[in-house]
Amino acid sequence: MSGGRLGAVALSVFRESVRDRVFYNLLLFAVLLVGAAVLVGQMTAGQDIKIIKDLGLAATSAFGLFIAVFIGIGLVWKELERHSVYSLLAKPVRRTELVLGKYLGLAFTLLVNVAVMAAVLYVVLACMWWISPENIRASWESPALDPALLVAFLLIYVQLLLVTAIALFFSTFSSPMLSAVLTFGFYVIGHFNADLKHFETVIASAPLVWLTRALYYLLPNLAPFDVTAPVVHGQAVSPGYVAMTIGYGAVYVAFLLAAGAHIFARRDFK
Amino acid sequence: MHAIDTEDLTKDYALGFWRKRPYRALDRLTLAVEPGEVFGLLGPNGSGKTTTLKLLLQLVFPTGGRAEILGRPAGDVSVRRRIGYLPENPYFYDHLTAVELLDYFGRLLGIGAADRAARIPRLLDQVGLGAERRLALRRCSKGMLQRVGLAQALLNEPEVVFLDEPMSGLDPIGRRMVRELILGLRDRGATVFFSSHILSDAEAVCSRVAILAGGRLVASGLLTDLLAFGIKGWEVVVEGADTAAIERVRAMAARVTPIAERRYAVELPSTARPDVVMAEMTAVGASVVSINPLRDTLEDYFMRQVAEHVRERQVRA
Amino acid sequence: MTTHRVARPLAFGLALTTLVGSFVALELWRDRVYGEPAPGDAVLYVRSGDAVRRLSLSFTPLVADLYWIRAVQYYGDMRLSRSPNKRYDLLYPLLDITTSLDPDFTVAYRFGSIFLAESYPGGAGRPDLAVVLLQKGFRAAPTRWRYLQDIGFVYYWWVGDYQEAARWFDKGADIPGAPWWLRSLAAVTKAQGGDRRGSRQLWQSLRDSADNEWLRNNAAFRLEQLDALDVIDRLTTIVSAFKARTGEYPASWDTLVRAGLLRAQPLDPTGSPYVLDPATGRVGLAADSPLNPLPVGAQAGQMALQPAR
Repeated sequence: MSGGRLGAVALSVFRESVRDRVFYNLLLFAVLLVGAAVLVGQMTAGQDIKIIKDLGLAATSAFGLFIAVFIGIGLVWKELERHSVYSLLAKPVRRTELVLGKYLGLAFTLLVNVAVMAAVLYVVLACMWWISPENIRASWESPALDPALLVAFLLIYVQLLLVTAIALFFSTFSSPMLSAVLTFGFYVIGHFNADLKHFETVIASAPLVWLTRALYYLLPNLAPFDVTAPVVHGQAVSPGYVAMTIGYGAVYVAFLLAAGAHIFARRDFK
Repeated sequence: MHAIDTEDLTKDYALGFWRKRPYRALDRLTLAVEPGEVFGLLGPNGSGKTTTLKLLLQLVFPTGGRAEILGRPAGDVSVRRRIGYLPENPYFYDHLTAVELLDYFGRLLGIGAADRAARIPRLLDQVGLGAERRLALRRCSKGMLQRVGLAQALLNEPEVVFLDEPMSGLDPIGRRMVRELILGLRDRGATVFFSSHILSDAEAVCSRVAILAGGRLVASGLLTDLLAFGIKGWEVVVEGADTAAIERVRAMAARVTPIAERRYAVELPSTARPDVVMAEMTAVGASVVSINPLRDTLEDYFMRQVAEHVRERQVRA
Repeated sequence: MTTHRVARPLAFGLALTTLVGSFVALELWRDRVYGEPAPGDAVLYVRSGDAVRRLSLSFTPLVADLYWIRAVQYYGDMRLSRSPNKRYDLLYPLLDITTSLDPDFTVAYRFGSIFLAESYPGGAGRPDLAVVLLQKGFRAAPTRWRYLQDIGFVYYWWVGDYQEAARWFDKGADIPGAPWWLRSLAAVTKAQGGDRRGSRQLWQSLRDSADNEWLRNNAAFRLEQLDALDVIDRLTTIVSAFKARTGEYPASWDTLVRAGLLRAQPLDPTGSPYVLDPATGRVGLAADSPLNPLPVGAQAGQMALQPAR
């Protein structure tokens, strides 16, 4: 494993994202937020700041999801489809390094994306704070420039890292179409996981209960990464919870990358 | 130590979706290529050339047998520092330019920044890539991509170079460039292992060849050993000859083909003497446009070998 | 070499298993410390069923199922919650979304109306919303006389408005295909609203017409309670007769058996013995009888609706 080679692969992924105009989504994000801020500012009193926070976090998550899935499934697949992997792997690059480097590259792309979105949200919130009279500010559940928002952004980022790892894992052995479907499927399941767990309250068969419970623990559980509700309502999110959730994400990502790299390292590139 | 060494190298691919049937792409290939050799791997499409190259670079894993490069197992990462590879119909990244691609690969090869800056422009000059080197690769033609592919294969000044169909997609000037490049590598002491189905290209540069058909090695050796370079006959093209003169020549010719008005191609067997025909033509006031020896070429040899292989298989079947 | 070839995949498999074990352990740990994420949380961003239907694209039935599960879960959680100021305020929106997504979701109307109508804190205590929900179901399927029967039931049992209940039973009986007894139920309700005979007929009709287990069991349970009330009445008469004869209340059921007034110790329909207070002569259910608590008097509206066992 060489840092130089990982870095070179990661950098090429980042450069590709830049050249493929991935970051244009930031523009859309900014327009969406500013537009929403102007609109809700005229419609509701007091709730506007919460709505902007909700929207900002939801959009960060949604835009990030699309980047994670659509670039994630292409990371490995495009190399195979266009045969660029042939000349690449003739270089002294281990296949494992290739997979990890690709992952790191997209992780960095997502980091930049989420960081800029966070900055944009804070700027919009600062503007709203500035133009709101004192009595309106007093009605807000949480301060406009609440540092707790960063916790929400951090968990969204870790969630995106997990989704990216899922996409990359599937793309090491299946077609991009299937990978996309599976990744989105896992994303949806990951958010309805809690419902899965509670299926046992409506099903009677013991093996089925056992099965849903096993699925609940084995499938990636994404719902805990979403702390939008407590954050926008000004409720504290405990550091222990954040640490455990991040730890869970990190271990799951490690598992997916190890398994994905293992599969990729044994593939024939016909 | 051989530069390249394979023993019983075999590759089966599984065909079919539900019931996998093995398809043998390469069958017990045993080869040894000496350092400094220019070795041609020849054969029609689907004969196993590309599979052999992919096995040597461990892009696919062998079903059986072994392959070594420079005394180390194929796929050894340390060996890849010392080799270059041009894939068939190379394709790279849409978003990069040739210079950026070579820089990326240079990093992967562990070449320092200063070395990269010096080597890359020189290599691109060598493969004949001019201002296009600053063009995104997605805008490049097939020939330009082939040149970029050659440049990246030579980036690390490799000891062994694998070239899969290096002439394909190139114009005659490009083909000559590749020929010169291969000979230049040989002069530098590098081993060149290349595949081709265009045999005249191989004839011009190879010292030794191996011929594959249906995944099997059907012949290998020095070109001069494989080919009987004797003259099989002559082809004389004449112009302005009248019918009577042609009839007289036809008696000794193997075949006479009219090309245009009063213009004929006369094929003579090796036993006939072309100067007799020339005298005959001069006597009636016709002129000889060209005279060429007809020789057994690699092409003919190749066709014969493949035909034999096919016959053998039919007999066995 | 051979051991190498075996050892490496083995080590790799072990490493992968360890990773799976670790993330499952972390998840268990987090759930233990911070609680499992509740489905739907306490937040319902979109409360309009029509809006959700538009958002759910072609997955409407699936999304309807999910909302139904959430509604059941929400109701269950609230019911079990010991919080003194628990609220059921998301129950109706959840049911409304479910039935907007799938207007044919019979179970959601019929169970949902029970959840809504039941008096607080066992249920939402909103018979008005239960009626609105059932009317919505009836609009979607105007041949389902059961929704009207259920509306009548809500008025009978939870509102105590027997005239209104009878009106809805009648309305149900008008629908082609409705059973004959719905008409007589209407008549009995109108004449003897609130007494035990009327109740018995109501529950019998529900039991015999129930098209699913839960509703049938619930009705059967109510009928057992009514049976128990009848038995308690008869036992009370016997105890009073004994007192009239001997001047004091019997010490136990044995006393009555020995006196030839009873054949054996009386058991309620679930097999628990009835209890007799020798000091007051009051007859009641055993404290651990599943039939507890019995409805009090004719005002059955005060009775808490227990889920069927």
